[in-house]
Amino acid sequence: MLPSVISRISLCGRSATSWAERMTQQAVKPARWPQYLPMAGVVAGFLLVIGPLLATLLRSLLVFEGDDARLSLDHFIRIFKDPAIHAALGNTLICGLATTFFSLILGFSLAWLVARTDMPGRQWFEVGNLIPFFLSPYVGAISWIYLAAPNSGLAINFFKDHFGVDLSFINIYSLPGVIWVLTIFYTPYVYLFVIAPLRRMDAALEDAARVHGAGFWFTLRHVTLPLLSPALLSGALVVFVTSAGLFDVPLALASPSGIRTMPTEIFASVQYPSDFGRAAAFGVIVLCVTVLLALWQRRYLAGRRYETVTGKGYRPRLLALGPWGRAAALAFQCFYIGIGVVLPTIALVLVSLTRLWTGRFDPTRASLANYEYVLFNYQLTQQAIINSLILAVVGATLGVGLSVLQAYYLNRGAPKRRSIADAVLSLPLGIPGIILGLGFLILAIRTPLYSTLTIVLIAYIARFFPFATRTISAMFGSLNPELEQSARAAGASWAETLRHIILPLLRPALIAAWIMLFVIFIRELGATILLYAQGTETISVVLVVLSDRSFGYAAALAMVQLLLLLGAFAIMRATKTSIVQS
Amino acid sequence: MKPDNSSMKATIPFLSVTGLEKSYGPHKAVNGVSLAVEEGHTLALLGPSGCGKTTILRCIAGLETPEAGRIEIGDVCVFDAAQRINLQPEARGLGIVFQSYAVWPHMTVAENVGFPLKVRKIGGAERDKRVARILEIVGLGAWHDRPATNLSGGQQQRVALARALIHEPSLVLFDEALSNLDAQLREQMRLELNLLQDKLGFTAIYVTHDQAEAFGLAEHIVVMNKGCIETQGAPRRIFHEPDTAFVARFLGFNLLPGTVTRRDGAKAEVTLPGGARISGHIPERAGQLAVGDAAIACMRKEHVHLTATPGSSMARIRGSSFLGLADEFILDFGGQELRAIQHFPEACADMAVGVEISPAHCVILPPENQ
Repeated sequence: MLPSVISRISLCGRSATSWAERMTQQAVKPARWPQYLPMAGVVAGFLLVIGPLLATLLRSLLVFEGDDARLSLDHFIRIFKDPAIHAALGNTLICGLATTFFSLILGFSLAWLVARTDMPGRQWFEVGNLIPFFLSPYVGAISWIYLAAPNSGLAINFFKDHFGVDLSFINIYSLPGVIWVLTIFYTPYVYLFVIAPLRRMDAALEDAARVHGAGFWFTLRHVTLPLLSPALLSGALVVFVTSAGLFDVPLALASPSGIRTMPTEIFASVQYPSDFGRAAAFGVIVLCVTVLLALWQRRYLAGRRYETVTGKGYRPRLLALGPWGRAAALAFQCFYIGIGVVLPTIALVLVSLTRLWTGRFDPTRASLANYEYVLFNYQLTQQAIINSLILAVVGATLGVGLSVLQAYYLNRGAPKRRSIADAVLSLPLGIPGIILGLGFLILAIRTPLYSTLTIVLIAYIARFFPFATRTISAMFGSLNPELEQSARAAGASWAETLRHIILPLLRPALIAAWIMLFVIFIRELGATILLYAQGTETISVVLVVLSDRSFGYAAALAMVQLLLLLGAFAIMRATKTSIVQS
Repeated sequence: MKPDNSSMKATIPFLSVTGLEKSYGPHKAVNGVSLAVEEGHTLALLGPSGCGKTTILRCIAGLETPEAGRIEIGDVCVFDAAQRINLQPEARGLGIVFQSYAVWPHMTVAENVGFPLKVRKIGGAERDKRVARILEIVGLGAWHDRPATNLSGGQQQRVALARALIHEPSLVLFDEALSNLDAQLREQMRLELNLLQDKLGFTAIYVTHDQAEAFGLAEHIVVMNKGCIETQGAPRRIFHEPDTAFVARFLGFNLLPGTVTRRDGAKAEVTLPGGARISGHIPERAGQLAVGDAAIACMRKEHVHLTATPGSSMARIRGSSFLGLADEFILDFGGQELRAIQHFPEACADMAVGVEISPAHCVILPPENQ
């Protein structure tokens, strides 16, 4: 058969109706207002970010004398003169820097082993390394108390009983303890930032170095690492500002031995007798550091857009480690999963099954009494679980909705305004939850919103929407605008295009973002601890309350939270979505 | 090594690959390939995508580890599966140019080009001098300190080329090196590469799917198909006289299946299902064909001559497209599709035309799956 290669289609003479007539026939004018939704999403984001920050700034400059308020720098002067606060800032800086340093090394090594070597089981570890990302740092800190507290540490006693090794010099209630737990929980951040570029990197860039005479280490140092430097830097900055600002871990590990840190000082300032001016001044100092770091990062990255022409794009080769190398890699990998997931979970289970924890587990005395008390007899728990679920489900849904609109604007809006919008909308990434919580507390304290679940919800969304926006925006960036343009040309309105073309294509990112927000909201503590009131406690707040009373009670409730978080992780695996998308 | 002494041992191969095998899972990417290149010569590995040509190149570079075979460069065995010899890529002393250019975006032009010297601990004035000289040769003298990402595609390609040549490797590998350039630039680079090779005297292997590139650059062409060598030889011979139907198809010949109806030495006649008889010759290296065997008559589109007056066979014009100096016609030739390229202003759709095919330009080959 002869294929008809040159087809001759005639357009004229088919219909008698004129072009103009046909246009008016189908001119059902679509509503135009939905087109302004992305802009509205960006404006809402601006308000959520700027509102509490302005309130904090203003409050830090106000001094009340009786009923009169005046502008003054007194709060700042008092802070700078207080040696105790110097210690707090110093401690926070040490924690942030050390955590960043160790998580960079750990996160890069793990990502490299998984993405670039023939380490056995790497497809499992690829996912396994992300589990700590889903767990609560506060629960992580208390499980490490169970493991390594002086006298009552499970791991310490285990080594003493079975190997006669005396580890009593280890004290988890210390700065190294804080750094240890923070490193475990922030390693996945670096890992997430690095693994995608490691995979996506044009293999020819490294191959060219090898063929032209560079050995493996020379190539790593002069080609691979410099090419990853934007990702490593972004990861390092996020880890630094969020780990330094995290309230959960210092609360559990530093406060008991009287070590001051910035987040715990802010918390203390707001407690009775409260000094909001002092807390706000604290917040402003932290914000200045964050904003300066973010600006510096933008300038640095602006000159380093490492986009290269890709050819046939073979995937990077896997390095053959050899038997010893494979064993060492596997041991290293298991060590991380062990300290990040397995040991804390074992500790939680054992402690939750023991009525009175003494540092050793006795199977004959195991009971579910802790669970019974916490779940059925303690009046706060059930309400707290309901509150947490409401916040997580409603918050994640609203947050994803907002993020879709913002992602639309960030990818399709006017180019000049886009970069400003991006800069402002990513600000919360560097603002510790406790400071944003403080801002909302200042905003809401004399309004009906104060002590409602709504203000907690608003604070959650304000603090965490950038995570969803970044995930969705990254995927949006890979959508060819012509996909939408063809839908518009085919007659779909803007809203129909969004519904039938964009949202289905973004589905994996939407699911990933929803689950991420759900997980973050279930475990959030820094903002909640300032904003909760009687009746609006969350699981994390009740955990803090319970851990003052009994190890066993706290462990039982922590197990409940752990199961919720692992459930979210399982759903993410089941839907085959990935949070590695940037 | 320079090519001055190549006349002494002109027949000793500089690069030799023997019995190379490489699989990816169940897929055999390279299946027992052997080839050789003399010093200072150029070999092109030509074939459709997925035929294994790039895998061979990567095995030579040391970027893939074959399962079987032996690779020698100069007098050095760089890979031998049986003796468990496998030199690392950096120990093989080669140059390579990739399709993606693989210019390092975090370095300047000079840093990119100077990298092979830096690795070899050649520094200071010596390095600067050689970088400046090679940049001059590739025409990028003024771009020395630019960040490499500010360059156009053609310029990045020159950076990659300079980088592959600066340490004076005796063997340079080109992996689809010109495919990303636009047509005009590609032509220009091809000429420049030929000049450069004359000047510097390196041995080169080009991997390409573009026959014009292969014919224009190489003295010896290896056509690959499904991991095996389909044919090899001088460009002119392969161009005019493909040995297999696969090669003929790949080079854009008309393929007309029929039956051998006469045979006289190398000369033969094929009768098509539509009744037309086509005379041609059977190349030496093609398989045996007897009267009554199925065979394929192959001829270039340019060698199908159409006449407005009735000829020995007739065809009907089904469509045409304007190529500039000539038109390409799609013809219904007794139920088979035939294409012709010629200047033929009288042609119009559905016109019956005479077809003349000169026996000198027609190759008779056995069917493909033999």
